[in-house]
Amino acid sequence: MTEGQQEQHAHRGRLSGWSAARRAVSSGLRFTSLRLRLVVVFGLVALTAAVSASGIAYWLNREAVLTRAQDAALADFEREMQNHASTLPVHPTEDQLAMAARQMTDGGRLFSVLLIAEDADGRPVQASAGTSALDGFTVQDVPASLRKAVAKKQPITSNNEHAYHLYWQRVIDEDQPYLVGGAKVIGGGPTGYMLKSLEPEAKDLNSLAWSLGIATGLALIGAALLAQAAATTVLKPVHRLGIAARRLGEGKLDTRLRVSGTDELADLSRTFNRAAESLEKKVDDMSAREEASRRFVADMSHELRTPLTAITAVTEVLEDELEAETGSLDPMIEPAVRLVVSETRRLNDLVENLMEVTRFDAGTARLVLDDVDIADQITACIDARAWLDAVELDAERGIMARLDPRRLDVILANLIGNALKHGGSPVRVVVREEDSALVIEVQDNGPGIPEEVLPHVFDRFYKASASRPRSEGSGLGLSIALENAHIHGGGITAANSPKGGAVFTLRLPRDASPLIAEEQGNGTEENGG
Amino acid sequence: MGQNEPVPSLLLIEDDDAIRTALELSLTRQGHRVATAASGEDGLKLLREQRPDLIVLDVMLPGIDGFEVCRRIRRTDQLPIILLTARSDDIDVVVGLESGADDYVVKPVQGRVLDARIRAVLRRGERESNDSATFGNVVIDRAAMTVTKNGEDLQLTPTELRLLLELSRRPGQALSRQQLLRLVWEHDYLGDSRLVDACVQRLRAKVEDVPSSPTLIRTVRGVGYRLDAPQ
Repeated sequence: MTEGQQEQHAHRGRLSGWSAARRAVSSGLRFTSLRLRLVVVFGLVALTAAVSASGIAYWLNREAVLTRAQDAALADFEREMQNHASTLPVHPTEDQLAMAARQMTDGGRLFSVLLIAEDADGRPVQASAGTSALDGFTVQDVPASLRKAVAKKQPITSNNEHAYHLYWQRVIDEDQPYLVGGAKVIGGGPTGYMLKSLEPEAKDLNSLAWSLGIATGLALIGAALLAQAAATTVLKPVHRLGIAARRLGEGKLDTRLRVSGTDELADLSRTFNRAAESLEKKVDDMSAREEASRRFVADMSHELRTPLTAITAVTEVLEDELEAETGSLDPMIEPAVRLVVSETRRLNDLVENLMEVTRFDAGTARLVLDDVDIADQITACIDARAWLDAVELDAERGIMARLDPRRLDVILANLIGNALKHGGSPVRVVVREEDSALVIEVQDNGPGIPEEVLPHVFDRFYKASASRPRSEGSGLGLSIALENAHIHGGGITAANSPKGGAVFTLRLPRDASPLIAEEQGNGTEENGG
Repeated sequence: MGQNEPVPSLLLIEDDDAIRTALELSLTRQGHRVATAASGEDGLKLLREQRPDLIVLDVMLPGIDGFEVCRRIRRTDQLPIILLTARSDDIDVVVGLESGADDYVVKPVQGRVLDARIRAVLRRGERESNDSATFGNVVIDRAAMTVTKNGEDLQLTPTELRLLLELSRRPGQALSRQQLLRLVWEHDYLGDSRLVDACVQRLRAKVEDVPSSPTLIRTVRGVGYRLDAPQ
């Protein structure tokens, strides 16, 4: 069952993957783009208009052309029937019929004639004549319905003076349009049929249809071009707006749009400008406030430093008194003097760290690079703080790096000092090279760092628990160590070793000089004192 | 320090009353004779009257600032100057060293540290051997503690002289900045390499024919500096 579920999951995964792929493709083609939609809409409008206009024009024309042609032909036919067929005897011979038919079609008539009558013996006779193209006009060519209508005798009423009428019908034979007309001579006589080809008219109409079709096509192309132009006029401002929005998003808050016209897009541009303006103002306000508070901390540290300098210089005088063997100090005063001396040192460290932090925050911290032997630096750092007995150093001499030795010392002193304070000795320091990076690990033997504290070890003034007694450090040490690593283009990570104890891993580039080159150019600083 | 050595006399120029009083107290206890001035103008006047062995100079002063005082002193005098600066790693130090200071300490400074720096600077002027060395047209007379170029005396500060002496003791051998800081400035392992660079620049300006293309004091990339006899 679990297997089945897994399969289902896998299947669904594939499906969603496939649809995602399809989305990507469709967004690539941009079927939903505004430009395409405009073109399609314009095209549809143009198509509808052109098709209905040309359709109506075509049908009106067609009717007019056909009616005129057929009226002329039928009038001719009727006249010829009057002139020739009605003069025939009631029972003409075949020759007489043929003669009459020839006479009817003489004189450049464009139709064929078929005359049908009964001869004296009651046998049907017929004769036809006409243009060579329409030879062989027989009664079979005449539709039965027409024959019936022609032969039908109408009752004579006040509205209808004649018993027989002229009828006509359009037929299509072998894809050729024809007009067939028929009439019976009143008072007994032959029945006459005429057949006229409508091909010339059809040709005219065809070419008309073609021209209308071409006109429609041209209209469509014109519509597409217009749609493109319209899309461009609409989309250009939209495109500009998009670019401006992107610039704004990249933090260029002075981005503004040029507003022209009074349309909706101009309104949108104005709205955008107002939004950008208020955003810029807000950000300016915020950065001004931040700058003010940063300046306050920097100024305060500086102000603290002046009295502290005096106190520090005098504290040494007190220290000398403490160290003097003569015991010149009043035993009641001595603890007070000791407290002043030690707390002055603490205050010194705190102010020093605060200054360091404000320098990092203000971005005025600078690297002073030198080529140093890492093992020598670490040994000197440990030695200077009398930690030689508590620290095991695993580093080969001769690993050279180009970095700021003071800042490396600050990092090492904070990491090793922290390890000694919280982990206890022996602290193990391992140096190794990884490609162009230098890795220094500081491992202690303590209980390690609680999981919930681990993400906060580099936070300023972070205390693991409120109940913990105040620490001897300033609460800025690890934060400053991290900043010092960052300014070198490196970093520090904190973790717990599987063997127990905390491990801080410092990673620095072997050569930090490219960073200095980058920093050049924005190196202006204010002096303080 | 021997009993017979004269007590060094210092001039302390510092505008803040508390710092001035405290440093005077501390330095006096370390065995110096200290004269004090509260402004650059007063300091320059006292300098002419008293001829101290060394000047401890605050950077931020009302009126003419420490850098300007330093530049004015250097126009006529090569006596050692230690700057008292408020900030350790910004432009203060560079400007101070360019204006001709020999060393600097960062406030708040411990009296012992300042005393050690003062003594180290003063030691640079002490003579130690009696030979001389010639590098091209530059002659270093270790007995007289003078340097001549084309027979003319060069006005070098004790620090510049000591740097030249240390380099000339190991001709053709590259010395790292950290080595030079230990030898000349007697700094610990955290010496500021900019001290060396600034001093080398000043020394080149005096010793080299064309300071921008040095032939005597060469830079060795990735190591430090080397003194070469011209070919």
